[in-house]
Amino acid sequence: MNEARQKFSLEFMRIVVVIVLALLLGFVITAMVSSDPVDAYRELLTGPLPKITINDNGDWQLRGINRFGNWLEDSITLTLLGLSIAIVFKARQFSLGAEGQLTLGALGAGIVSLYIPAPFVIHIGLALLVAGFFGYIWGLIPGALKAYLNADEIVSTLMLNIIAIQLYQFILTRYLKDPTAGYVGTEFFPESAILPVVIPGTRVTIALFIAIIAIVAVWFLMSRTPLGYEIRMLGANRRFAEYGGINAKRVIALSMGLSGILAGLAGAHLSMGLLKQLTLTLSPNIGFEGIVVAMLARNDPKFVPVAALFYGYLRTGAQIMERSSDVTREMVLVIQAIIILFITAERIVPLVQGWWLHRQSPEAILDSAEAKG
Amino acid sequence: MTFETVLASIFSAAFIATIIRASTPIILPAMGGLISELAGVINIALEGIMLTAAFFGVVVGALGPEWLPGLPVWVYPWLGALVGVLAGLILTLIIAFFHLELGADVILAALAINILASGGTVFIMFALTGDKGSTSTLASPAMPSIIIPFVGSIPVVGQIFNGENLTGYNIITYAAFLSVALVWLFLYRTRLGTHLRAVGENPVAAASVGIDVKRVQYIALLMSGFLAALGGINLSMGYLTLFQTNMTAGRGYIALAAVFLGNRNPLGTLIAALIFGAAGALEAQLGTLNIPSQLITMIPPIVTIAALVIYNVRRQAQMAANARKFQEKMESEHKVV
Repeated sequence: MNEARQKFSLEFMRIVVVIVLALLLGFVITAMVSSDPVDAYRELLTGPLPKITINDNGDWQLRGINRFGNWLEDSITLTLLGLSIAIVFKARQFSLGAEGQLTLGALGAGIVSLYIPAPFVIHIGLALLVAGFFGYIWGLIPGALKAYLNADEIVSTLMLNIIAIQLYQFILTRYLKDPTAGYVGTEFFPESAILPVVIPGTRVTIALFIAIIAIVAVWFLMSRTPLGYEIRMLGANRRFAEYGGINAKRVIALSMGLSGILAGLAGAHLSMGLLKQLTLTLSPNIGFEGIVVAMLARNDPKFVPVAALFYGYLRTGAQIMERSSDVTREMVLVIQAIIILFITAERIVPLVQGWWLHRQSPEAILDSAEAKG
Repeated sequence: MTFETVLASIFSAAFIATIIRASTPIILPAMGGLISELAGVINIALEGIMLTAAFFGVVVGALGPEWLPGLPVWVYPWLGALVGVLAGLILTLIIAFFHLELGADVILAALAINILASGGTVFIMFALTGDKGSTSTLASPAMPSIIIPFVGSIPVVGQIFNGENLTGYNIITYAAFLSVALVWLFLYRTRLGTHLRAVGENPVAAASVGIDVKRVQYIALLMSGFLAALGGINLSMGYLTLFQTNMTAGRGYIALAAVFLGNRNPLGTLIAALIFGAAGALEAQLGTLNIPSQLITMIPPIVTIAALVIYNVRRQAQMAANARKFQEKMESEHKVV
């Protein structure tokens, strides 16, 4: 137990160091292009927080609640996508298919919202169900191809992304588009299919609770159910898992299908919560963002919301920075890339440790070895 | 436009020229992807490397006269291409270093590079031009085109060999087709190529006969980065003469699919890349016929998945057949004994 805790705190330190390092590098890069890099970075790092202003009469006023809302909205999307990737990573599989699953999830939610009339609660439930189901199917396909035919899941998920996006755009422009609108998009969804807002003045809807339920559900699945155990065993050692009687093929296919459900729900959150309609592009390149969240959380569902809130904070801060300075929001992608590179670099810690020990005197090494022993 | 005119335009020399031009930025990264895949270090950063090379090629090509005045005009596009390729190689080196030295997952490292490229190019472009969409404010040069002499006057042949307007193909298009032959020679007729395939097949076995696995994988990754970078240069200094945000538009991933569709060999990959190029060209033609372009765009990825399935079904059948043969052989030998 003690060892596990030590390992945990080492991991935690490592992630914190990587984040600080990435933010510092980001600042250096910002300083190279910006006329006022300090101001730009202040916007990035404090922008999403609501601000309390107190006037002369002592009355206080809360401002920037919509920015705060943007942060939470984005974090909900990122939580669902992060959970989706975490399941696949836990099974030691790879999936780049979240974009397609999310797109079809949004499509399913949109079709139910627009064409299947139902009373309030049932309408939302049905739309969410269909969104999750579409995501499940789009995750199960590459999963089954990988499991039973050994077809490379990277290529298949990338191809399924293209197919899903084209299918979405085809159905949208051909059948769902509002002909009176001046752009490619559907009518707004009926009231009964729009997720109710829980924080007034923002677009933070009951998707917040969906995300929380999803966290608990994935945690429960992974640590309290036979399937979760099988997924973890498969990820730890496939041969051993098979030797222990686990049907590895079934587990691979199911883990990718389950991950699709969560990405599909993220699509429902985008369409039924944020956009309230279907538009030609939903949220470009959001599909890969779940990967950095899952990596920061070390694929542990408990930490996914923490990682999502952190990364969502950066993404929202970047948008605010873009509006109020001369630095574009793509800055945050550079930071993201640095984070992914350094977290995946497994051998960095032993390398740094070795270098550190090498610099110390032999006595110091002996002392520390004795202290450990 | 009627169906007949579209059909006529598809079965024409000019359409073949369009396919050749549209395939170039797929063939080059596909050859790169093939080399890296055969070496067991699949490079999914082809997309980001292309994008970065395309960007730096344009920037240096356009701003070169400002930064280094006095050189002959023809030098600047080459200078741009050189810097573009170098930028692509640096990104590839980052992947190789993180994967081979620091134990990073090769797919995650490459994914980080793709993210870095898509963000970094926009970031620098905005800092340089104040524009987030394209470098249209910069006057960027194209790489030269080559016109094959004498064939221009021959009706169909002229159009096939020199493009529909007889203005010749970009020099990188020639490089693309040449690269297929060179990659084939490299993989199957050189020592290093044999080592490379051995490493991809079984790194432990390769190491046991004295092959330096790490060195081979470094080389394979750098070659893939070089070829992908050339593809990017073609996009921004040939196919178009400017840089647009995310102008690769998934070609790096399509190139990867071409490797698998092409059964992981140079000729098959070339054919797959041509099919993808043709689908792209067809999309533009059929758009005029009111056939939804999305359905055409869907064909190559569907074909790729189908090819993956067929390939693996056949492989499994083959393996089962081999196992059965082996068993029968053992049994018959057993009877003799």
